[in-house]
Amino acid sequence: MSGATFLILLALSGGIFATGFFGLMARRAILFQLISLEMMLAGPALAFLAGGAWHGSQQGQAMFVFIIILAAAEVALGLALYLALRRGADVEDSDTITGLKH
Amino acid sequence: MLSPYLLLLLVPAPPLAVFLILGLDPFFLRRKAVQALALLGGIAPFFAMLPLLGLCLGTECYGVMPIFTLVFGQSEVALALLLDPMSTLVGLTVAAVGALVITYAIDYMSDARIADLRRFFALMNLFLAAMLTMVLAGDTITFFFGWELMGLCSFFLIAYNTSLPQAVAAGRKAFIITRFADAFLLAGLLLLFLEANSVRLDVLIPAGTMMTEERHVVIALLLLAGALGKSAQVPFHTWLPSAMAGPTPVSALLHSATMVAAGAFMLARFSPIVMSEPAVQTIAAIFGAGTAAFGALSAIFQTDVKRLLAYSSISQIGFMVLAIGLGAPEVAIAHFVVHAMFKSLLFLAAGDITHGSDLGTSLQAMRGALRRRPISFLAYVAGAASLAGLPIVTAGWWSKEAILATAWEGGAFGIAIWVLALLTATCTAIYAFRPVFEALQPEPAHISHARRGHPVALDLHYRPRWGSGFITLPLVLLAAGSLLGGIIVGPIIRFLGAEAPHPAHLPELVAAVAPFVGMAGAAAITFVPALAAAVAGARDMRRPTRLDRKFQRWVIEPYVRLVRFLAGNRIGARAEAELELRHVQIVRWLSRGARMDGIYQALFVRPFVNIVRWLNGHRGGTVDPVGTFPVSLALQGTQALVERLAHDRFDRFWMRLANRLVRLWVLVCAIQTGRSRDYALGAALGTAALLVIAWGTTWN
Repeated sequence: MSGATFLILLALSGGIFATGFFGLMARRAILFQLISLEMMLAGPALAFLAGGAWHGSQQGQAMFVFIIILAAAEVALGLALYLALRRGADVEDSDTITGLKH
Repeated sequence: MLSPYLLLLLVPAPPLAVFLILGLDPFFLRRKAVQALALLGGIAPFFAMLPLLGLCLGTECYGVMPIFTLVFGQSEVALALLLDPMSTLVGLTVAAVGALVITYAIDYMSDARIADLRRFFALMNLFLAAMLTMVLAGDTITFFFGWELMGLCSFFLIAYNTSLPQAVAAGRKAFIITRFADAFLLAGLLLLFLEANSVRLDVLIPAGTMMTEERHVVIALLLLAGALGKSAQVPFHTWLPSAMAGPTPVSALLHSATMVAAGAFMLARFSPIVMSEPAVQTIAAIFGAGTAAFGALSAIFQTDVKRLLAYSSISQIGFMVLAIGLGAPEVAIAHFVVHAMFKSLLFLAAGDITHGSDLGTSLQAMRGALRRRPISFLAYVAGAASLAGLPIVTAGWWSKEAILATAWEGGAFGIAIWVLALLTATCTAIYAFRPVFEALQPEPAHISHARRGHPVALDLHYRPRWGSGFITLPLVLLAAGSLLGGIIVGPIIRFLGAEAPHPAHLPELVAAVAPFVGMAGAAAITFVPALAAAVAGARDMRRPTRLDRKFQRWVIEPYVRLVRFLAGNRIGARAEAELELRHVQIVRWLSRGARMDGIYQALFVRPFVNIVRWLNGHRGGTVDPVGTFPVSLALQGTQALVERLAHDRFDRFWMRLANRLVRLWVLVCAIQTGRSRDYALGAALGTAALLVIAWGTTWN
């Protein structure tokens, strides 16, 4: 892998992360926020892959697998919370649920 | 090429899979489907064990199936399943008994509601899978995993009738007491691991026999304590009689092949470690013989057939521990196999006879069994004969005889143990045949035929249960095993690599007479009205005899004083009144399991409850002392310091600052919006700042 490819990949992953973060900030619907979170995880995952390939190490791929597992666990919890909120309080907008601060 | 030992994985897998399916119930199974699945999961391990037995008999009987290996420096964590003569034999027994008990339960539990049925069979299958995993385990982690899983399942199954408070309490008691003893086992296993740097049994046990003296004693004692707790041996026995709150198939499985027998199996598995330490071995023998005698004596005076059988399990497993203490784990395993057959048979037959009786499982509910349930009654007689050890014709005789002969050959100490064991065997015959003779008496008038007894099932309609193969087949098979199993006792001992002991003729003759003496005793206390009244009356503490009074003065009163002393005179008024009674008798004492419950209540439960109450503000305690202590300390500190310095200029300046801090606090609180987007932004900004700092500090 050439250095240029590596840099492009890193920039791409940073872009994906930034897009996800923008989505998280801009969206208020919980479901879209979850999707944005997944994107935020995908960015670093790509960075790990690129870094692993650049250094010729398998640890990058191992981290990728870990991130996938983390993402799966996170989305399972997030969707469960989302469903519970939908059913229990009929909430779509994440800004309306602020009760946990009390 | 595939290793034939892959089959080992297939033994605990089916019940585990059935547990998952029934537990999660993704397909909304109907009643028939639940029953069919449960039956499949229960029977499959037996058929998976059969080729393994063939492998073991035919070619080499030693194989390891590695599952997962992790190496940490010098230490090695290697999960594996192990096939050797002991695991093959015990695994086959467990699988067979488990299959028969689950077959029986299909019919026995058929009136339960579908949700209860699913829960019951899911847990029964998990129970079976856990025991099989433990038996076939090739390393201590898998072993301990199965061991603990069994404790958990027994908790859930004993507390199956969640609507009955005493069932839940019994489950909790079983769980807490066995957990307490499990801690010893865990400590012992961890010490062994540190010694051997491996969890594999084939490395661990030889390393365990070769270590230094003092560690060796500690480890052997820890293992022994773990086994005593799981096997409900004195002083941990109290949970087993209460565990009768569970349904009968649960008791049958719990007492015969799994759970309580697991302790004896564990001792046999680790017997090289225990046996290379003569002092611990002697302790094991004394505990075993003492428990056997105590259990048998207590069993005589029970009025409930299931409690009687529970004490009988305590006693019989005492025999196994005794055999291990005498240095003959092979004999212990032979007794394990035979005991598994006749004890499950006794429970299943008694459960079938008393099923649906208004009298619950009391001995009176057995009456008229010959007419009502002839097959079950005959099966019960076969089981009782095997338990009592009627010479030659029963399996129990052969295995018990092997234990007695081992004791006889053990020198002066052995002969003392032999005498105790012989007396125990006589008592065994008394309590084994008490329910039989009770069952021969005419039926009391008020047994209800119209209701089948499971409390969960009470609101359901009666269904005649004549001729159900699900009940009859297990009973017949187990009865055949209990009677004819004697043929395999010798081969079992040889299969495990030892020689069956050959007793002298005289002790064998004496031991052969013992069961008949016991039978005569059982007949006497059932049919001679005076004696029967004496036993019943003694239980009610009405008519003290002179012997009773002597016993009262020399044994009971000091004991009662001890209990009261340990309780710190804080027993409840009712228990106090009970203790105050002048004529507490041996019988009552024994029928309560030596009041060990009272001691536990006074020593552990009461202080714990009191502490919790105190911590919650009862009895002059403080609510949440840990939380309130710093606050009250700070308050007192301000009073002591600030009050003295108050009202000068410095103080006012200081307080203004403090008031500003409050305003600042209000400002800072504005950040806390509760909106997740704001927090995400904060987290992102913080991370970005950290990154910038990290970048700045590593810049060169």
